[in-house]
Amino acid sequence: MRPEQIVEATLFASLGPLTPEELARADESLDAAGVREAIDALRESYDEADRAFQVYQLGDGYQVLTRPEYAPYLERFDAVPRSPTLSEAALETLAIIAYRQPIGRVEIEEVRGVGSSSVLHTLQDWEMIEVVGRGEGLGRPLLYGTTRKFLDHFGFQDLDDLPEPEELAVSLREEGGAGGDEGPAEPQPVQRELEPTDEGEEERGG
Amino acid sequence: MSRAPAVPVPGRAPGHLGPEPFVVELDRFRGPLDLLLHLIRSQDIDIFDIPIARITAQFQVALDAGLERLELDRAGEFIEMASTLVRIKAQLLLPRNEEPDWEEDPRADLVRRLLEYEYFLDVARVLLGAEADRRRHFAKGYVEPRPAPEASLPELETGREEFLEAVRSMPEPGPEASHRAPTRSVTVEEKMSLLGRLLEKARRLAFEKLFRPWGTRPHAVAALMACLEMARQQLIRIEQTVPFGSIWIFPRPRLVEGGEAEERGDEPRAAGAAEGA
Repeated sequence: MRPEQIVEATLFASLGPLTPEELARADESLDAAGVREAIDALRESYDEADRAFQVYQLGDGYQVLTRPEYAPYLERFDAVPRSPTLSEAALETLAIIAYRQPIGRVEIEEVRGVGSSSVLHTLQDWEMIEVVGRGEGLGRPLLYGTTRKFLDHFGFQDLDDLPEPEELAVSLREEGGAGGDEGPAEPQPVQRELEPTDEGEEERGG
Repeated sequence: MSRAPAVPVPGRAPGHLGPEPFVVELDRFRGPLDLLLHLIRSQDIDIFDIPIARITAQFQVALDAGLERLELDRAGEFIEMASTLVRIKAQLLLPRNEEPDWEEDPRADLVRRLLEYEYFLDVARVLLGAEADRRRHFAKGYVEPRPAPEASLPELETGREEFLEAVRSMPEPGPEASHRAPTRSVTVEEKMSLLGRLLEKARRLAFEKLFRPWGTRPHAVAALMACLEMARQQLIRIEQTVPFGSIWIFPRPRLVEGGEAEERGDEPRAAGAAEGA
């Protein structure tokens, strides 16, 4: 039994993402590093064999998912309710939380210019965000952060997959001082599609 | 992220720069910042040099058109921004230094907020794209293994034969109409004690036995009520194996063994009712 086969069997039988540590529980011979190696080998072999599925990283876990080109076929079986698509208000609020976490409701509302209690409740119900602490100041306000489910929902490996945040205040001063004839640099949209990267995990600090 | 499209007022050129170039539906904007950005971006206004008077006028026109359709909270958010705009407009009218310093520009804070908000709109657009990409990947369990089982109960199909059979089994119209005999009133309690006594002798009892001999509607109603009441008290168990089939009544242990049933059976009124059969 090679490690790839053990990892493959475990991934195959799983309904959700598994971390390398969780996958390593399958056998005493496995550790997290060995699991990552095995996953890389599996990915390669799936690519070579042109399989309809691949091992993808979602947050800190791995899961076997179909490749996107098969979506039109699978969508014909739309019988099971899937995770919801988020509203514009929810996406906007999530964007703010993703960059500014931990962040309280009042700060979110300052950015959005609108009340945000209900959208925060919705995001909490969908487990996209969670309370990560309490702030200083009056009433020790709740502070929110994004969850593992958030990463899974958007197919991110970690928060680095979000576009680079600009230092808005700085760019404003510069551009404003320069006569302000150009807008601020817009963030580069992330055009990746859940790329099963095999670039080293060390880079991401594991 | 679709923004409410700017609908040109009929008869005006789209590029018209007058005070009210757009008809905007307020409730399609997520808030005052969204509306402001729309006004600025759709008119190609330099965000670092916002013509506050013009934008304020346009903002107020939009509010006049749609404010009353908004909930109070949301309306308040727009009004707050309108007052901010008016305040900035007033500050701009005050005498200023020869060399304008950006930091002292009354518009600076608003511009910062607009850019910040716009930035997060861009991020939200990225999230929208990522969400769509993610939804093109399917996990195990997505396709159901077999057609979902019928959730509904089997249909109660009654054929003509069954219907006719049911009609035939209906008791003949009671004699009370022709005989003018006073209808003997029957109480639920009487039926309950009758049922109790009958169940002492039999292990099960057909529902019809409780009223068929009397053949009148009050008896049938009282029998039904009695059964339901005793079932509620868990003294009996009622079974019907097929739709419209016979209804069978079974005693529950307490009824036979406990003293309760016997007491009921000894009630004089109940005896009278039974004799009346």
